[in-house]
Amino acid sequence: MSATASQPDASYLLRKLHSFTGVLPVGAFLAEHFWSNSAALVNAAKYDEVSRDLQTIPFRPLVEWGVIFLPMLFHAVYGVYIWVRGKSNVSAYPWVGNWLYVAQRYTGLIAFAYIGWHLYTERWLTHGHSTYATVETDLRNPWYLTFFVVGILASSFHLGVGIWNFLCKWGLAATAKAQQAAGRLGVVIGVAFSVVGILIVLSFRLNWHPFSSYYLPK
Amino acid sequence: MAETKRVIVKVKRQAAPKEPSRWEEFSLNWRPSMNVIICLRDIAENPVTRDGKKTTPITYDSNCLEEICGSCAMLINGKARMACSALVDQLDQPIRIEPLTKFPLVRDLAVDRQFMFESLKRVKAWIPIDGTYHLGEGPRVSPEVQEKGYPLSNCITCGNCLEVCPQVNEHNQFVGAAIISQVRLFNMHPTGAMNKSERLQALMGPGGVQECANAQNCVHACPKGIPLTESIAEVNRDAWKQALLGWLLG
Repeated sequence: MSATASQPDASYLLRKLHSFTGVLPVGAFLAEHFWSNSAALVNAAKYDEVSRDLQTIPFRPLVEWGVIFLPMLFHAVYGVYIWVRGKSNVSAYPWVGNWLYVAQRYTGLIAFAYIGWHLYTERWLTHGHSTYATVETDLRNPWYLTFFVVGILASSFHLGVGIWNFLCKWGLAATAKAQQAAGRLGVVIGVAFSVVGILIVLSFRLNWHPFSSYYLPK
Repeated sequence: MAETKRVIVKVKRQAAPKEPSRWEEFSLNWRPSMNVIICLRDIAENPVTRDGKKTTPITYDSNCLEEICGSCAMLINGKARMACSALVDQLDQPIRIEPLTKFPLVRDLAVDRQFMFESLKRVKAWIPIDGTYHLGEGPRVSPEVQEKGYPLSNCITCGNCLEVCPQVNEHNQFVGAAIISQVRLFNMHPTGAMNKSERLQALMGPGGVQECANAQNCVHACPKGIPLTESIAEVNRDAWKQALLGWLLG
């Protein structure tokens, strides 16, 4: 490309879009999703209320496709494209950042496979009307349970590292000190999402509702 | 013959770009403060392999022998580093010496780093001071900019940062950390800043700054301790501001 061209290249814009969609809306949706599902920690009735509220939002297909499915699909597909154009060398240079570079690719793939299956079982098969009971039934299956745990950990890790990458790559954490701080923020986010996700699974699995005293019937 | 300490060196050799590669092993006399370049010179003096076969001197680039010229980067025990500052006493033996892998091979340990120099031209990594008339004095460089710029100006274009970068490979044309850091250097200079948008524009094409995936290997591998990840972050910020906000805010 010549230096006199006045527009950034498509590869530049797609790459930036990939980085951006990882945080908004995909990361933000993950936060919303974990938040909504935390209703299970109150009780089944609260969970079903939250679920029903989400099922009755206006512009539902537009929101589901425009804010959730398509950005996620783009982030995943372009992420794989980035993966195949990189060439990992972590065995020769086993620095932390290099390990994270590799792990970010595998966790992304695991998360994508998991989310695809999760959408199929909890969104498609339930016709968009999943309830506490449907999720609880699914989680009785040990394979489902394992896949849930793996999916939650992979997604949380990917988001944590992704936040760090995002802050560095957009120059929002530019100095070495800021990049270290961004790394710590990524750790906090990754751990927090992992813990909350696992607590939600435990809630379904063990019929454990630590916040049940909060519940006020509608 | 008196018992002398030996240094065992294995060198990956290749006569020409399309020829097959082979390893040759050498047993050299140890000397105090010996570095890898000394090993290669000793081999040139007496090009005989460890098992007594006569061979040819090894082709390699080197010049200054003090980490200033940037020409002797190679893989030493699998790591990209400068041969002149690789001290034999600090290396596990046999010492394996290979050419860098991210640049076209010329012969033995010599590679062609033209890609980096072409990239420097592409991003206009200089400050234009020539004109058809006397341009007068330029603006003064503030001490803050001098302090930030000096470490960046230490870049020796050795290519170690490209060698260790997982994003620099045959699948894309990523220019690598060194070039991005030079853009930062020339963009922060008050006269150089007059071409800031052109440099950023050049880094938003194929192989531009967007190809960085934040593995951050470059900053570990840099023999000059240049804050390359800081440079990439800053240039990234300037680039997206120009690309995404330029049309909006002017």
